[in-house]
Amino acid sequence: MRPQDDWGLIVFGCFRLPIVSATAQILPMQQSLAQLVAQAHQEAQVIKTRAEMEAFKARIVGPNGSLTALMKNMATLSKEERPVMGKLINEAKKSIEDLLSALLLKIEDAEISATLGAPLDPTLPAIDSPAGQHHPLSQTRERILATFRKLGFTVAEGPEIETEWHCFDALNTPADHPARDMQDTLYLPQSFQSADAPRRGQEALVLRTHTSSVQVRTLLNRKPPLRIVAPGRCFRRDAVDATHSANFHQVEGLWIDHHVTLADLRGVLDFFVKETFGPEAEIRLRPSFFPFTEPSFEMDLRSPNLGRLSNRWLEIMGCGLVDPAVLKNCGLNPEEYSGLAFGLGLERIAMLLHGIDDIRHFYQNDLRFLRQFA
Amino acid sequence: MKVSFQALQRHVDLTGITPERLAEVLPMLGLEVESIHSFGLAPLPLVVVGEILEFSKHPQADRLSVCKVDVGDGQPRQIVCGAKNFKTGDRVPVALPGTIMPSGFEIKVSKLREVESMGMMCSAEELGLGKGEDGLLILTAQKPAIGTPLNQIYGAPDSVLEISVTPNRGDCLGLRGVAREIAAALNLTLKPLSINTPTGFAAQPSATDAFRYVQLNSEFCPYYTARSLRKVKVGPSPEWMRRDLEAAGLRPINNVVDITNWVMLELGQPLHAFDAQQVQEGIIVRGAKAGETLTLLDGKKLELEAGSCVIADAHRPLVLAGVMGGVDSGVTSATTDIILESAWFRPGEVRRVARRAGVATDSSHRFARDVDPAGVELASRLATDLLASYAGAEVVGSAVAAGKPPRAEVKIQLPLGFVAHKTGTSVTDVEVAKCLERLGFSTEKSSSGMTVLVPSFRSDVTRPIDCVEEFIRIYGTDRVPVGRPIAPLPGEEDTRSSLFTREISSRLVGVGFAECCHYTLREAGEIERTLGKSALPQLALENPLTADQTHLRASLIPGLTGALALNLSVHADPAGLFEVGVVFRPQADGTVREFLSVAFATLASPVVRTWKSREAWDVLKAKRMLLDVAALANLSASRLTFAALADGLWQKDQASALVDRGRSAQGACGILDLRWTRSLGIKGTVIAGEFMLPRSAFAEAVRIPRFAAFSSFPPATRDVAVIVPQKTSAAEVLSRVQQSAQKAAAKEFELEAVHCFDVFSGPGLPEGNKSLAFEIRWRHSTRTLTDEEANRAMGVVIAALEKGAGWTIRR
Repeated sequence: MRPQDDWGLIVFGCFRLPIVSATAQILPMQQSLAQLVAQAHQEAQVIKTRAEMEAFKARIVGPNGSLTALMKNMATLSKEERPVMGKLINEAKKSIEDLLSALLLKIEDAEISATLGAPLDPTLPAIDSPAGQHHPLSQTRERILATFRKLGFTVAEGPEIETEWHCFDALNTPADHPARDMQDTLYLPQSFQSADAPRRGQEALVLRTHTSSVQVRTLLNRKPPLRIVAPGRCFRRDAVDATHSANFHQVEGLWIDHHVTLADLRGVLDFFVKETFGPEAEIRLRPSFFPFTEPSFEMDLRSPNLGRLSNRWLEIMGCGLVDPAVLKNCGLNPEEYSGLAFGLGLERIAMLLHGIDDIRHFYQNDLRFLRQFA
Repeated sequence: MKVSFQALQRHVDLTGITPERLAEVLPMLGLEVESIHSFGLAPLPLVVVGEILEFSKHPQADRLSVCKVDVGDGQPRQIVCGAKNFKTGDRVPVALPGTIMPSGFEIKVSKLREVESMGMMCSAEELGLGKGEDGLLILTAQKPAIGTPLNQIYGAPDSVLEISVTPNRGDCLGLRGVAREIAAALNLTLKPLSINTPTGFAAQPSATDAFRYVQLNSEFCPYYTARSLRKVKVGPSPEWMRRDLEAAGLRPINNVVDITNWVMLELGQPLHAFDAQQVQEGIIVRGAKAGETLTLLDGKKLELEAGSCVIADAHRPLVLAGVMGGVDSGVTSATTDIILESAWFRPGEVRRVARRAGVATDSSHRFARDVDPAGVELASRLATDLLASYAGAEVVGSAVAAGKPPRAEVKIQLPLGFVAHKTGTSVTDVEVAKCLERLGFSTEKSSSGMTVLVPSFRSDVTRPIDCVEEFIRIYGTDRVPVGRPIAPLPGEEDTRSSLFTREISSRLVGVGFAECCHYTLREAGEIERTLGKSALPQLALENPLTADQTHLRASLIPGLTGALALNLSVHADPAGLFEVGVVFRPQADGTVREFLSVAFATLASPVVRTWKSREAWDVLKAKRMLLDVAALANLSASRLTFAALADGLWQKDQASALVDRGRSAQGACGILDLRWTRSLGIKGTVIAGEFMLPRSAFAEAVRIPRFAAFSSFPPATRDVAVIVPQKTSAAEVLSRVQQSAQKAAAKEFELEAVHCFDVFSGPGLPEGNKSLAFEIRWRHSTRTLTDEEANRAMGVVIAALEKGAGWTIRR
């Protein structure tokens, strides 16, 4: 409500007052009251500062103010006139008070604006660097781990330098087993002593070729039932090209309990694939060979949502039931316990998920690559 | 292994089955098909035999000839040709206009340098027949009629499947093994082998044999057989055999060598033929003696490792057992008598010896995967048949065997319902038995379940669990149900280092840093810069592959710095980079320890111009970040101090090492060595930090904070400024203030905080001095401290500070 309207109402109200009790005495007072209010509203329009406002306030309602003076004149009125005039004065007072609080708001607004400066142009570019981003391999890792966490798998880790025993022998791959030809291994010199993977005998130390070694460490240290996923960096003596890397990442899974079956393996992998690649993705288990699982399979994936790799079987991980020899090597009775294990390549999954065609992108750290996955 | 579709049909009837169908079947048996390619002449109806009637030099091109060629259509045609290996009257393949060559090129009537050419005379390679001799394929010797379509001469093309065989399946390194798998999968019958040479061995050679004895003196060869064959005519092998060898990727050599190779491809058993005249007295299988050498067929001269198994005669080693023959005793065109070896060598030893010698052959590949001992005799007999038929060999007598087959059939007791239990299916033992029998196993019901008899060609099946795999391969994995839903195991949590990795990464991402991922293996120069020359041997690999990946990384900083340089060079604004990963640090006790490292790097001032400038980075902000990382790893700031740092990564006087009183964490922060970063092309200064924690630190118990009551009364606050020599560290002054303020409070009230609010040097202070100002806050637990108490306490602090050498209170 603007002061003018306010004033108009009061004027209107005055004329609607019962004239019966009006006398010659009340009329002049009524007129000066109206004039006082009108003038106050007019003056208020030019007031800009708090000090001006205080002075203005004093002029009207201060001890020597004009309204105060009018109120003092009430004493001169008759008994009948007083309530009529009193009502009018109260209305005028209310109008002045409203005017003053509106004025105060206006002044405060001006003061705040002055502190804040020019109005904001929200279309200006935001400053400072945007949030950073997780590396696509980390994103893929976390995505995979989150999926397996839903199935009760928790994360385990192990050293990157391993003894041959943990990396091969315990996993049913003794020296001179042709399976050792499947992967070329990087060795550390005989003089190398690892604080994290002390030798058991004269065995060599290697850069682990798979995170399956974490299986061994877990089985040696914990009692079943257990379900773990072991993400980590692995190494092969491979020349670097679009699909090979001197180091790469795996996520190994292991579930040991009294009665774990092939059906469980299918269940776990089916869940993983559908969570990761969508409900239309399907899997097949293709018989294969790994020394540490029996039976062993390659898990193939087929999905309609993989760009040019859509609708064909793609090999994405090795899996199987844990070979009884591995359980025995780790001090578990294979008659009592059984298990399943799987190992997948993070790079492979990330490349499929994002349509990345060259593994070297992951290690070049060109932000034009990394920022695409923010 | 390359498997010819046509050759497979010798062992199993594949009527109605295409190579493409096989490529679907084989992978589900565990035999991955890497590729299928066509072998032989593709259908080319417009390629016919032509005769070169005459030719002359091309008038405008020295290298071309203009030929008149009769292709049997009554009108000799002119063809321009670039080959040189023909003469008048030669018969050659001619591609008539309209032919689409295997390369996709279409033959048209055209002009070559103004001379018309009505077709093309072809080389073997152009026809997709493999790399033959240079120039045209000359058919003159075969005397084909002019105009005959070439396909009539060459027959239908074959398909060759390239199969990758896993190391446990040595039996599939022969065609018969692959055929057996196919027969099992498709429920077909394996065709029987028909061999004329009789079975049976003699224990000793007869007088007519080309060798006087066979002695077995090596544990690596438990079973050795040899056979004499005389009057061999060495020459080319028959066309079909050459074709089979070529389809399998082998080069035909002569009939004797080709027959041994062909039998190996067929049955998986490697054979060796000696020139009998080069074998003195007899054959001794023995360990090599120290100092002995052997020149292999490929010309490589080997210093034999003492004890490694060789086949020798009375005087010298002739063959590196199971790997490769020596050049001295090999079959040549002059050979007339041969000794045919068929034997079984210990797989592990063959693998070891072949690797050590750096020689990988078809033979060592098979022996290392455990050949079938029962196949030793079979292969010898089959080769003998062929040598008689195709090399005119006369068989002297029966073969001689020394030792005995190292293993035979294996009996497995399969408990009742074992396969159903392991697979989580409801298959019956009868179904299981049926599947296993298709693979050539025999089964028999027993009281406790089933007895499975596994033939010796399957060395990989020895335990009940192995039968599960065999069953599922034939039964089909798609028939296994999708398993039961599973509930979490109670009380399990991710390992703390992984939780830390996830959490710290998210925080750094939150403050605008981009995560990087660099190789673990680095070049020597980087390690030297990081830890000095002395660390080089400690972090070196034994067998690095490339010169730039020889050492284990000791820090993540060099990788990040490289990434900064790269991104600057490609104009990708590197606001801030970080990495979380494992680094390797030599320890005082001589070991190398793995540390989980968190490192970050950023340019001190932004490189990209923006309409409003960004906040600049400095070392103390990096220190803040380092302390935050430490706090997240449960290392309280109170156990960490910062000390001077001197190493190649950091700029002198502008970086600091983090020291952990608990002796587990390491770290540093500061400005990176300017000369180094500039040499990488980075113009500005780089601020970085690295925090490294050993895995063991994550095993430390996490302290659960205990609540301590706090006062509801106001504190008393006092300021003090002290002027100290420039070189005095802030930590030293702070510690003095803290100690004295603590002492001043005694047990009466508490010192709540001391913080440095001003550091100043310049006008008004003596040269070479600085002023540090501190706010001290005391508080009483049950009442308001009086001014007198605070002043008295302040007096204690001032007195303590004034005792510092060269320290004065600024008043």
